[in-house]
Amino acid sequence: MRGRTFLLLGLLAFVVVAAGVIWRRSVGVAQARTLRELRETRGSLSATEAALEGAIRDASSRARLARTAEERLGMRIPPESLVIRLPRPTPVVGR
Amino acid sequence: MRVTRTQGLHLILVGFALALVARSGWVQLRQRERWQAEARDQQTVERAMPAVRGRILDAAGIVLVDSRELVRLDVAPTEIRDRAALAAALRRIGVPAPFVQRATDLERKWVELPGQHLATDVADLLAMRGVHPRRVIERVPPATAGLRNLLGVVDREGRAVGGVEAALDGALRGRDGRTVLVRAGRNGALTSPEERVEPPVPGRTVVLTLHQGLQDIAERALADAIAALGARGGDVVVLDPRDGAIRALASRRARPDATGATALTEPYEPGSTLKPFVAAALLDRGLARIEESIPTYNGRFTLNGRTIADVHEAPSLTFAEVMQYSSNIGIVQFAQRLSPREQYGVLRDAGFGMVTGVPYPSESPGRLRPVPEWSLQSPASLAMGYEIAVTPLQLALAYGAIANGGELLEPQLVREIRDAEDRVTFRASRRVVRRLMSEATARTMRGLLRDVVEGGTATAADLAVYSLGGKSGTARRTRDDGRGYEAGAYTASFVGLFPAEDPQLVILVKLDDPQGAYGGVTAAPVTKAVLAAAIAARDGALDPSGLRGPPPAPRAAGESGAGQVVAAAGVMDDTAGPRGNAATRGAVAPASASESAPVGRAEPPVRPPVTFDLARPSRPEGVVDSLRAVPDVTGLPTRAAVRALHAAGFRVVLVGVGAGPSTSPAAGTLLPGGTLVRLPSVR
Repeated sequence: MRGRTFLLLGLLAFVVVAAGVIWRRSVGVAQARTLRELRETRGSLSATEAALEGAIRDASSRARLARTAEERLGMRIPPESLVIRLPRPTPVVGR
Repeated sequence: MRVTRTQGLHLILVGFALALVARSGWVQLRQRERWQAEARDQQTVERAMPAVRGRILDAAGIVLVDSRELVRLDVAPTEIRDRAALAAALRRIGVPAPFVQRATDLERKWVELPGQHLATDVADLLAMRGVHPRRVIERVPPATAGLRNLLGVVDREGRAVGGVEAALDGALRGRDGRTVLVRAGRNGALTSPEERVEPPVPGRTVVLTLHQGLQDIAERALADAIAALGARGGDVVVLDPRDGAIRALASRRARPDATGATALTEPYEPGSTLKPFVAAALLDRGLARIEESIPTYNGRFTLNGRTIADVHEAPSLTFAEVMQYSSNIGIVQFAQRLSPREQYGVLRDAGFGMVTGVPYPSESPGRLRPVPEWSLQSPASLAMGYEIAVTPLQLALAYGAIANGGELLEPQLVREIRDAEDRVTFRASRRVVRRLMSEATARTMRGLLRDVVEGGTATAADLAVYSLGGKSGTARRTRDDGRGYEAGAYTASFVGLFPAEDPQLVILVKLDDPQGAYGGVTAAPVTKAVLAAAIAARDGALDPSGLRGPPPAPRAAGESGAGQVVAAAGVMDDTAGPRGNAATRGAVAPASASESAPVGRAEPPVRPPVTFDLARPSRPEGVVDSLRAVPDVTGLPTRAAVRALHAAGFRVVLVGVGAGPSTSPAAGTLLPGGTLVRLPSVR
């Protein structure tokens, strides 16, 4: 092979390697972008989950339910004379 | 040697090349780091990643305060492609019309929109060109005002403002992280996998000792009482005397500027609720006996030129009756058996005049003046709960010592702290500050406090089934400028121990200037309301095993029996209705046989265990409950009657004064289990 052939092969190798590097970096940047977007989506969903959980807690809290039950259903907190505490069943062993 | 012109040119070029190489070497080798840093500054941009603030939970793990990520929206109008779609989307999320107009005005370069949104709610907007989100972390405050007062808030910059948020900011704050992005065109930035990222460290989770159910109950009861009695405000502290855990802490003021937990920050003169500590000190030192009698001069007594008055006008009272009827004359005379230094030591040992150490930024130590600053009247004033200022928490902790057998405990507000991996980094433990009184004295004091509720000044707090001990207090209110007392204004308070025999809760209720004034008729019913709701709630606020068992514990040898004695003496008719009620009860209803047994010897009745088969319906169709006879409760004390009816399987409602048969339906009537039986509370 002559000198020009070597030169051509060298240039070709350079182009291939450069193209490979550029392709690899492009893929990396794209994946990083996807990763960031997924992270943001996860953050958004976590925030939504927290907001919904908060809304459920608020709606099911005693502070809200008790007043609603009294106003809409006419319910009242019973005096302790109306509350009967049943003893827990004793666990039966060795039957 | 002669150098030709060509050679000279070559030499110059070679020299220039050598200089370039040398400079290149200098830049690449010697100045490498400097130029690399400069290149990095040009090519990358560093962005902070804010740490998520830690959560605050109640003792059962219910989230009280949380953080969440929201987005704020900025718009670059010139980048927008579809202005009509943008305007419609902005209107849909509630952006005010003027801002919608600005956001679509092409003459503006940048518009910051108001409001914060969940990213999922504005997903369509985020996909539009020209809409730039800014991610912010919002602290969601507690739902109720009382909790907000105690826990504090976080401002828009993420700084803790007051309350537990400020006191535990170091644990809750976490550490911000950072990320490095590669600069791109048009002021954009790309995430590069080669660039390092320091993730943020989230704040720690703080688990409090509060019980949200009890907190809701306390706040509701306090709000209702303030509204019903026209009070200026009030505080409720619910404490577990066994470990000093604060289970609920509610504060409410009519003043708009009072936003903190005033139960920790605003001391007040406790009045008669302080008397038990003087009494305990006297008993502990053997300076008084509970059956010992002292003259009370029919309610008026002059000491060092000062006239002291009692509401209960009796010629003499025993030590136990002095507590039961909150006699100022009696306690002042008994307190004279303590030297001023001893009296000061008693109150100091009870924790008054110093902070309790609860993690709250502006806790007040209250005020207890040293003996050299006392006047001639000070010993008498202090015995009646004046010339001293205490916070509701201090007083509740001191009562906790009576409840738990004599030990003053450190208050617990934080149960544990967990890191991001859920590892426990701090766990509170029961810490005894000092022994305040002997166990025997504490037990005697609990008996005396039970008498206060069952037949003394606080019968409005008496429960039908369970026993409650406590002490009411009514103190004149100092003027806002601190000069003297305000005419006709009082602080009414009640501190209850529930159940009286083996207390699980200490409940302090304080009302500022309520209509009705007396603590026994204003604050005591609030305690009863809190307890009734807590018993009905069954959500872990109370330990059920500690509530079952025998009828009210009988009095131990040496414990007070003042109710009957004073009823016989005929001095119980000078207060509001409840006391007359109690007098009737004390005089008419004889003590049952079980009530005469000493404490500790009475064995709980053994009942067969009840087994539930959850797989079967509780009431199969066509099956009628077996009938049972209503027991005869004639002559029994109300509490024993209620328990007898409960034991027979009936529900009971108390219906005021009654005559004739003791129950309705009458004793002996056959009824299905669970039927409601009406029982007159005064028979």
